[in-house]
Amino acid sequence: MAFWHGLKAMAPLWLGIIPFGMAYAVTARSAGLSLLETQLMSLVVFAGGAQFSAAGLFSIGAGSLSLVLTTFLINVRHFLYGLTLEPRLKLSRLEKIVGAYFLTDEAFGVTIASGKRSFAFLLGAELSVFFLWNASTLLGSLLSRAVPDPQTLGVDFIFPLTFLALLIPLIKERVDLTVAVFSGALALAASQWINAGLTILVEGVLGSLIGALWTGRAEGGRRA
Amino acid sequence: MNPILTILAMALVTYLPRLAGFALAGQRPSPFFLRFLRFIPITVFAALVVPALPGNAGELPIRLVAAAAASLTIWRFGNLWLGILTGMGLFWLLRLIT
Repeated sequence: MAFWHGLKAMAPLWLGIIPFGMAYAVTARSAGLSLLETQLMSLVVFAGGAQFSAAGLFSIGAGSLSLVLTTFLINVRHFLYGLTLEPRLKLSRLEKIVGAYFLTDEAFGVTIASGKRSFAFLLGAELSVFFLWNASTLLGSLLSRAVPDPQTLGVDFIFPLTFLALLIPLIKERVDLTVAVFSGALALAASQWINAGLTILVEGVLGSLIGALWTGRAEGGRRA
Repeated sequence: MNPILTILAMALVTYLPRLAGFALAGQRPSPFFLRFLRFIPITVFAALVVPALPGNAGELPIRLVAAAAASLTIWRFGNLWLGILTGMGLFWLLRLIT
């Protein structure tokens, strides 16, 4: 069944998700959030990078406006994911409402890489992350200081490694490689100035525009 | 403001772009827009990889070696598990011996 396939397709990423969910909880609790507030954020915001930033902002006593604005800027990249998935999956209204709630980098990546055109697969991949993220948030809150630092373990390396592994099979033509290399370089430069989430949005739009223009010119050239 | 209300507002501004992508994707995208969308996974994945690759522990050289080995494994065998295990295994090994 597609739902279980989606759930299991996420399994290679679990090792990267658990330590980060726990580390987020420790950061949030030490920023003064209660167990309930820490868990609520994982349940309703459900976006790792934004939650880490928020915990940091709470700890320095930032105002609500800067918390909400920063969260928006980090998470607005998800717009591209729905935009890309919808023409492939052709979702009903209810599926859009539910699918959007649990959407993450990981679920987008694994669903695109699988080539599966099924809402059940997407939902399986999404809930796989949601369940694990929330379970590890709770575990981190309860264990508190006993949680090891993901950087020390080196498990933060799983995140770029995963998306590298998802990227490689998508490189089929020379234009794909060119766009990927350009995108990586642009993202590295942009990330010095703007947050990681916004980098993805800006770079994703720019890189894809260049790809679309390039392939359009090539097609026009063939016709001529 | 009460942290709970702040968190709920954060949830709202996170959900809206997530939903907007699905809601605004047209029923009949133009050929140019379809070509644009074809490159989104490539550009997004590249942007997720490159800035996160160096890490904060000054381990860039061994991370690059491990990432290269993982890339070759994926390219050759096309298996996500195998790619991540190769990369992480080599990374931890190089960490131990360097």
